[in-house]
Amino acid sequence: MRSQKKPVGVVPLGEVPEIALKVIAAHISGYYKLSVQILPPLGHPDYAFDERRFQYDAGIILKAFESVQFKGHDKVIGVLNLDLFVPIFTYVFGEAKQGGKFALVSLFRLDKNPDGHPSPSSLIFERAAKVALHELGHLFNLFHCREKNCLMHFSGGIQDLDETPIYLCRYCSTYLKDRLLRLNLLGSEEGLCQ
Amino acid sequence: MDDKMSIMVVDDEEIVRESLFHWFKKYGYVVETASSGFEALDKLEKYPFQLLFVDIKMPGMDGIELLEKVKTEYPDTIVIIITAYGSIESAVKAMRIGASDYLLKPFKPNQLALVMERASHQKKLLFEHDYMKGRLEKITRFDNIIGQSPAMEHIFDLIPEVAQSDSSILLLGETGTGKELVAKAIHAKSRRAHLPFIAINCGALPDTLLESELFGHQKGVFTGATHARKGFLEVVSGGTLFLDEIGEISPKMQIDLLRVLEEKKITSIGSREPVDVDFRLISATSQDLGKGITDGSFREDFFYRINVIMIDIPPLKKRKEDIPLLIRHFLEKYGHETTKQVDRVTRDATELLKRYDWPGNVRELENAVERAVVLSQSRTLGIKDFAFLRSSPAPLSRPLSLQEVEKQHIQQILEEYNWNVTQASKALEINRVTLHKKIKRLNLERRS
Repeated sequence: MRSQKKPVGVVPLGEVPEIALKVIAAHISGYYKLSVQILPPLGHPDYAFDERRFQYDAGIILKAFESVQFKGHDKVIGVLNLDLFVPIFTYVFGEAKQGGKFALVSLFRLDKNPDGHPSPSSLIFERAAKVALHELGHLFNLFHCREKNCLMHFSGGIQDLDETPIYLCRYCSTYLKDRLLRLNLLGSEEGLCQ
Repeated sequence: MDDKMSIMVVDDEEIVRESLFHWFKKYGYVVETASSGFEALDKLEKYPFQLLFVDIKMPGMDGIELLEKVKTEYPDTIVIIITAYGSIESAVKAMRIGASDYLLKPFKPNQLALVMERASHQKKLLFEHDYMKGRLEKITRFDNIIGQSPAMEHIFDLIPEVAQSDSSILLLGETGTGKELVAKAIHAKSRRAHLPFIAINCGALPDTLLESELFGHQKGVFTGATHARKGFLEVVSGGTLFLDEIGEISPKMQIDLLRVLEEKKITSIGSREPVDVDFRLISATSQDLGKGITDGSFREDFFYRINVIMIDIPPLKKRKEDIPLLIRHFLEKYGHETTKQVDRVTRDATELLKRYDWPGNVRELENAVERAVVLSQSRTLGIKDFAFLRSSPAPLSRPLSLQEVEKQHIQQILEEYNWNVTQASKALEINRVTLHKKIKRLNLERRS
């Protein structure tokens, strides 16, 4: 029995291809067995633009999320097609606070292969789904995993991301399932995709 | 990467502290932040962070100064410098001082991951180095006998030498100096090492019980002897028997043991059948056995039988240079046993411990460190943590004159020889007439 309690929200910020949102929602639903709802778009996050870096500060956007009413959603993933950064890093594919409520996924750097050539759209969407599932993992308090064959293994570049599988290792999968059961987001007979 | 790594981020920019804090949290590390070098040192005093990320440019104490202090006070702490592009020269300087790595702000996510991997590897190497060092020390030294003073070095040299023979050994030393540890070390280095080591405190057992323990008994020879029991002299078979407080045993027991040492046979209580025994005897005492011989309470022939080799273990007050080493050893020991993160003693407290007289010797020091570790709220033990120590005798307000020293010494010798002037004069190496004159001139009187 699938729980209908508080679906994960997927919200576009600015212009984002609808297909990307649908792919992300489908992967969350398919891999984590959670209900997902695509929410109406939020405005372009101009407020987070850093003029020195020509990038958008992920921390500022996440902070801004706190003042938005996401009624009926405990976890919300913002998707945007902008270059994100956190102050210590040159860029990030996504950002989430450990055990927090909001996460971000950027499509901006996902469209090129490590050699600089454009990537096929199927690969771009797979990457976006991986980043979304990884960041959502952090929202459910999953840590970075030392197991390379795990979605929660840290990916610092596009090559790492491509080498990272889309599924969780046995340990992280057990942890997440336990977490979702406790939050009553998963039926006891349901399992996660491994 | 190591899950247990504890990290402190030191940066005056809140945004950098926050970013790194959240990033490390995603690995499940223990993370703390500090906004200045002073705050970092304060936090290091309380918790042993293994890895520090330090920004070079900070007001007050900059990253280089902090790095120098950390490397002096906590040399095992790994420091990684964070710097902006403009201060690359400082980063090079930091590496020379002892920083393990540096990162230019802002860095690529994989650069931080790589630096963390290297730090984790370095931590593993440090751990392995400590482990191997500990193993090596155990192999080349003797378990738990700590010291680097000339007196202890002499004992370390003696142990393997005397361990090779089967001669009886007498260990002299105040209570708490580690006589049993030395006995165990001799046993461990001897050809009997794989056989039993049995320690008996003669002072703790009444004579009849000691006899039964050593020689064994037959069933029914006395009330409560419900079954036959082998004595330790037989049980030890081939090993080492350690008799502590040998000065406490009765003259009868001295004769019995003397016979055993000469004949290498024992007869258990209630039996007529002698049994062959083979053991190496190590005795120990904190008493002056010479005095016992003089007053007739200790047999001279027994004394010479047990005293083929004599090792004098100095009291702690005569090897105070070993105190810091002993403190470190006990901190490690009780750090592991209590799982408390206490690994340092302030310089002031070390000086206090060196000034103290330690009448209970190493055992008293060990107890003091254990108590301080258990009760401490911080990783560093200070003077207040040792406030429970008995206060050292106050220094003399003025130096004694030669005549006062002479008076005290003669009084002490006279008391020791129960005012037998002939014996006291011999001990003082002066003639009786001179001693009588001195007693009169110095107004010496027998103490009640």
